[in-house]
Amino acid sequence: MQDDVNDITSEQIRSKVVFERSSKRHHIPGPALLKKFKRDRHKTHRVSVFRYAYYDPAFKFFVEQVLDCEYLALPPSTKRTMELGIQNSADDVCTPFKHMMGDWIEALELGADILVQVGGPCRLGYYGEAQESILRDMGYNFTMLNFSHGIEQGYFGWGKEVLKTVNPDIGIAHGVKQLLACGHMLTKLDQARDFYMANAAFEVKRGEFRAAWDALMDDMRACETKHDIDEAYSRGMERMRAIESNRPKDPIRIGIVGEIYTAIDGDSNLDLDEKLIDMGVEVHRMINFSNRYTHYNEPNLRRGVSDYVRYDMGPTSTITIAAAKKYVDAGFDGIIHAKCAGCTPEIDCIPTLRRIGEDARVPILYLTYDTETSDTGLMTRLEAFYDMLAMKKEKIRK
Amino acid sequence: MLKQTLNRISSIGIPKALLYHRYGILWTTFFDRLGLDVIVSDDTDKGIFDEGERASVDECCLASKVFMGHVASLIGKCDAIFVPSYASVDVRAGFCTKYQSLPDLVMSTFSRDLDVVSLVVDSPIDGKAMREAYLKMASELGASSKQAKRAWKAAMRSQEAHDKAKVASQAKTFKLLEEYKRVAAKDASGKISAPLAILVVAHPYISHDPFIAGDIVSAIEDMDAVVIYADESDHAKAYQASFDFSETLPWIINRELAGSILMNKDRIDGIVLISAFPCGPDSMFDYAVMRSIRGIPILNLMIDAQSGSAGVQTRIESFIDILRYQGSGGYLNAR
Repeated sequence: MQDDVNDITSEQIRSKVVFERSSKRHHIPGPALLKKFKRDRHKTHRVSVFRYAYYDPAFKFFVEQVLDCEYLALPPSTKRTMELGIQNSADDVCTPFKHMMGDWIEALELGADILVQVGGPCRLGYYGEAQESILRDMGYNFTMLNFSHGIEQGYFGWGKEVLKTVNPDIGIAHGVKQLLACGHMLTKLDQARDFYMANAAFEVKRGEFRAAWDALMDDMRACETKHDIDEAYSRGMERMRAIESNRPKDPIRIGIVGEIYTAIDGDSNLDLDEKLIDMGVEVHRMINFSNRYTHYNEPNLRRGVSDYVRYDMGPTSTITIAAAKKYVDAGFDGIIHAKCAGCTPEIDCIPTLRRIGEDARVPILYLTYDTETSDTGLMTRLEAFYDMLAMKKEKIRK
Repeated sequence: MLKQTLNRISSIGIPKALLYHRYGILWTTFFDRLGLDVIVSDDTDKGIFDEGERASVDECCLASKVFMGHVASLIGKCDAIFVPSYASVDVRAGFCTKYQSLPDLVMSTFSRDLDVVSLVVDSPIDGKAMREAYLKMASELGASSKQAKRAWKAAMRSQEAHDKAKVASQAKTFKLLEEYKRVAAKDASGKISAPLAILVVAHPYISHDPFIAGDIVSAIEDMDAVVIYADESDHAKAYQASFDFSETLPWIINRELAGSILMNKDRIDGIVLISAFPCGPDSMFDYAVMRSIRGIPILNLMIDAQSGSAGVQTRIESFIDILRYQGSGGYLNAR
């Protein structure tokens, strides 16, 4: 041991030199150090939500304001979207699954790394897991924020799920506030759309309503707070109300009822509402996101149709039947029931709808949408339906 | 207006379709103990199915059409028909929305004056809530609380005993098969072989309905293979095991089937997956099984209202032939 000490190299000697400081230094001058945030462990995410009718401003708001991530907007869907969806889904699964599969593949191709899927009470509850496993088998690497997880604990469970999978650094108070604002936006979007569908057919100068609607959507996409949403809504509605209209005294009125995805989403129902508007029809549609989720009171709705149903029949059945009853009571000329192929709850509504239609002598057109892309067949049926309603109206008037 | 059903009825009809194959013993015992004449509809046949098809919307699934046929066959034979609504409220143990809508579907399809005795069960694994629902229905029928409670107890016991007996018989079959295998392994000449065990994975109202899947089951048995029903495994254990298969699968019957596959996969030689066209839950469940259960040959059959059984027989025969060839080391070593 003694020998080792004697054999000290020059380097070791240097390291043994000790500076004696007279006073202890407490602060070393320099720039402010970066505080360690949990979020630094996470890269910024690009989040994508499936295409769903006119709700993309609300999805954007949710991703940017609630999740605090980057929103990846999907371009309008094409025939390729549909084909990708069909290729990578089970054959006999309901059609929205295929639409969403197409959306996911395009989103992942564009560089999304988080996909947001909702949960639901029917097959929708299993969509997320099935799609995630198919996409993983295809070789994509991503995270899926699937609201089917945590659904047992309701909002609390979903909150935990968001913090765990997407962004652990969301301020809870801020998140909740913006989530409420997001719900508010959904309501406002639905209200604006209801006004649009009821009035767009009677514009004097063609295309004015469409332009106002597009402007409203752009306005909504730029919103950051609830206040912005209210302002955008007022601006948009003012513009739509100011449009010159030549509404006839007794226009043909058609109510759309049906399954929540297909009855609303233009890509799925081949722009059913726009087609009817082009024919000069006043269109009403009770089923929408806010009526089904934000202001949904199933027992109350069911009480209004207690002559026809005793129990809740499925996810959107009560609202379908209640809406049909409301339309026949309000003297509508016809009802269109739109659903995707294989939607069990909506198929089960058909006998009840038939009864409502027979009792009130209101014709109902049943449309089942599969993954077809040509709308000639639909156009023929709609035109025939319209002609029939117009002739019936003419006869009654005489 | 819908009629309130009260104690005017002396006989009740139960359609032998859909959930009858799961809760049949419970229902018949319960109504029997309440002092009602219980009339169960006959086994499904062509006539019943045709009647059901006429009464249903085209797009309904095969099982639902069969159910409507059974209801039609009961009309006029009894005072009231029992059609329960099993809801899909429980997100991990729900039912297809078809069961939820059945009472209203029946009333809308046939007649609003049809006397339908019904109840709502929110969750099949919540025994307490289920009991409450049945007792409430009994009191609506005019039974005393004591009578209703007694009937429930007896009904639940006989259903549980029935399920237990099925589980026990399945265990016995597996034990026997193991012994056969041991004997076959000891045999040096290679002439003795153990029978193949085929797990039939299907909703109980498919696999146990002779009209729907009778051909398939008898075709398997004609090939000297042993049929083991996935729905006869222990329900609670299978339900627990199914969480290894999927976290968010919403349907309890599919969960039990998945659990049964996982529990028995080392003891069976092949799986025959049967679904009725166009079954909602199975459209996703079967796809998931085909993609994620590896190492066991699976035959996926979709059945519709076909009248001939030759096609199904050919497929079953070739499936079992392939299993046999593989068991003896491939085509070249086939004996």
